[in-house]
Amino acid sequence: MSGLFQVPWSDYQSDLIDALWRTVSYTVVSFVGAVLLGLAVALLRLSKAWPARAVAALYTEVFKNIPLLAIIFLAYFGLASAGLRLDVFTAGCLSLVVFYAAYLSEIFRSAISGVHAGQTEAGEALGLGKAGIFGHVILPQAVRLALPGTNTMLVDLLKSTSLLVTISAAELMSEGRLITSATFRALEVYLVISAVYFALCYPLSQLLLLLERKVRAGVPLSPWRRRRVRAAHVLLAADLGAGADRKEATV
Amino acid sequence: MTEPVTTAQTTAKTTEPAPPTTEAVVRIEGLCKSFDGRLVLDHVNLEVDRGRIVSVIGQSGGGKTTLMRCVNLLERPDQGTIEVAGKVVHQDGRMVCRDLPGLRRTVGMVFQRFNLFPHITAVENVVLAQRKAGVAEPEALERAVALLRRVGVAHRALALPDQLSGGEQQRVAIARALALRPEVLLFDEPTSSLDPEATREVLSVMRELAEEGMTMLLVTHELPFAREVSDHVVFVDGGRIVEEGRPQDVLETPAQARTREFLATYGATS
Ligand SMILES: Nc1ncnc2c1ncn2[C@@H]1O[C@H](COP(=O)(O)OP(=O)(O)OP(=O)(O)O)[C@@H](O)[C@H]1O
Ligand SMILES: [Mg+2]
Repeated sequence: MSGLFQVPWSDYQSDLIDALWRTVSYTVVSFVGAVLLGLAVALLRLSKAWPARAVAALYTEVFKNIPLLAIIFLAYFGLASAGLRLDVFTAGCLSLVVFYAAYLSEIFRSAISGVHAGQTEAGEALGLGKAGIFGHVILPQAVRLALPGTNTMLVDLLKSTSLLVTISAAELMSEGRLITSATFRALEVYLVISAVYFALCYPLSQLLLLLERKVRAGVPLSPWRRRRVRAAHVLLAADLGAGADRKEATV
Repeated sequence: MTEPVTTAQTTAKTTEPAPPTTEAVVRIEGLCKSFDGRLVLDHVNLEVDRGRIVSVIGQSGGGKTTLMRCVNLLERPDQGTIEVAGKVVHQDGRMVCRDLPGLRRTVGMVFQRFNLFPHITAVENVVLAQRKAGVAEPEALERAVALLRRVGVAHRALALPDQLSGGEQQRVAIARALALRPEVLLFDEPTSSLDPEATREVLSVMRELAEEGMTMLLVTHELPFAREVSDHVVFVDGGRIVEEGRPQDVLETPAQARTREFLATYGATS
């Protein structure tokens, strides 16, 4: 037992930090891309034009039913053999984006259609335009509905970056493999690598859970909403009476 | 059945000519609307003059909601003319209105189910559309607070709709509709999903609005209330106006058998 930790970790410290940074970069870039593409696909799927819906449905079904690893190989080796050579980072992000966009589009679609039709009507009756209704009425409520599923996908995506070890993406898992081949201490190395993933994912998912709770409670998170609620609070000081400091919406 | 209907419509028209001093905020002429080939509104004529309160009563499925929704064009009429604040907005199945948001700001609407935006507080509900209509933030906020005070829910202004009682929600919805300074307010059974206490609260707000001279078109099953506040009552059945006139006439001495039948089931004939 005392011999478990024999790898000279201090020698690898800066490499590990680089790898950690890589993992975070893959996660952030791919997640942002997947959210944007997923939203676009979801909107296509909700479109009135059937060809748009068909294209979006085809996209979703294709990428939901192919393993991520196959997509990674296709993007990196497959495209290269067809003459389109992507660098590792681009190929890695592209794979994660197209794969997770398929799942996110399903989450977004059901969230958007889950907002009650009466909400659109109320917006129309108040003279809000199409953009106003989408931006101020549908989207914020859809975000509320989509948040739990989206958060799960974010943590899942972070863990899936480890599959990029297969194209030597220089992220955490690849670094683990390098250290292992230099030290032959597989158990120790992968325990440490696993611990690093845990240290990333656990706080992240807890943070997202907190965010979910706040959003569900209607806590104003955007600066403009905060400003508006604060200003209203000042104007309403007399009406709110004794319970004035206990902000209703921030419970 | 068709014979007395036409008589009722024409007599109502001839016995109650609009006084020259009043001006119609809403004028509906020959309005027809069908859903899936089924006629839901059949040549309906209706006028709401400025400062007047018109109540629409009638059985479920009679077309009352559809009639209201045609006024702000949430529903597109198949035929007829809709005129709001002196402007024709829809004619013979064609959209004439070029500024739909503007029309909707002229016509405030309060729905049966409170359609407040659930993700923002009561006061933000009242501010949102004002901002989109170009009102500056401080002014919009002040107006929102003033309106919430007026409907008696200022103390709950920072609560989310879910945290409010049904009566409070409906009063916020009224404040939200008023915030755009509409020329006419449409109410579609504003109290029918409320308990008696909440109904009283909402009706008292509506009564105040009536006293202040707000122009209103409302669908209601609160017949005593309709009797009290309305200038004109319209009984709709099967998509037609069967009878209309002064509230005491229509509600107490109805001329049509259909109206008497309806009133008997609502227990308000005596
Ligand atoms: N969007 C729609 N599509 C198809 N049919 C509809 C639609 N809206 C209303 N209808 C039908 O039109 C008729 C009139 O409906 P409407 O809602 O106007 O009646 P109402 O008088 O408001 O009834 P209630 O008192 O129950 O609210 C009903 O038969 C209804 O089923
Ligand atoms: Mg109705």
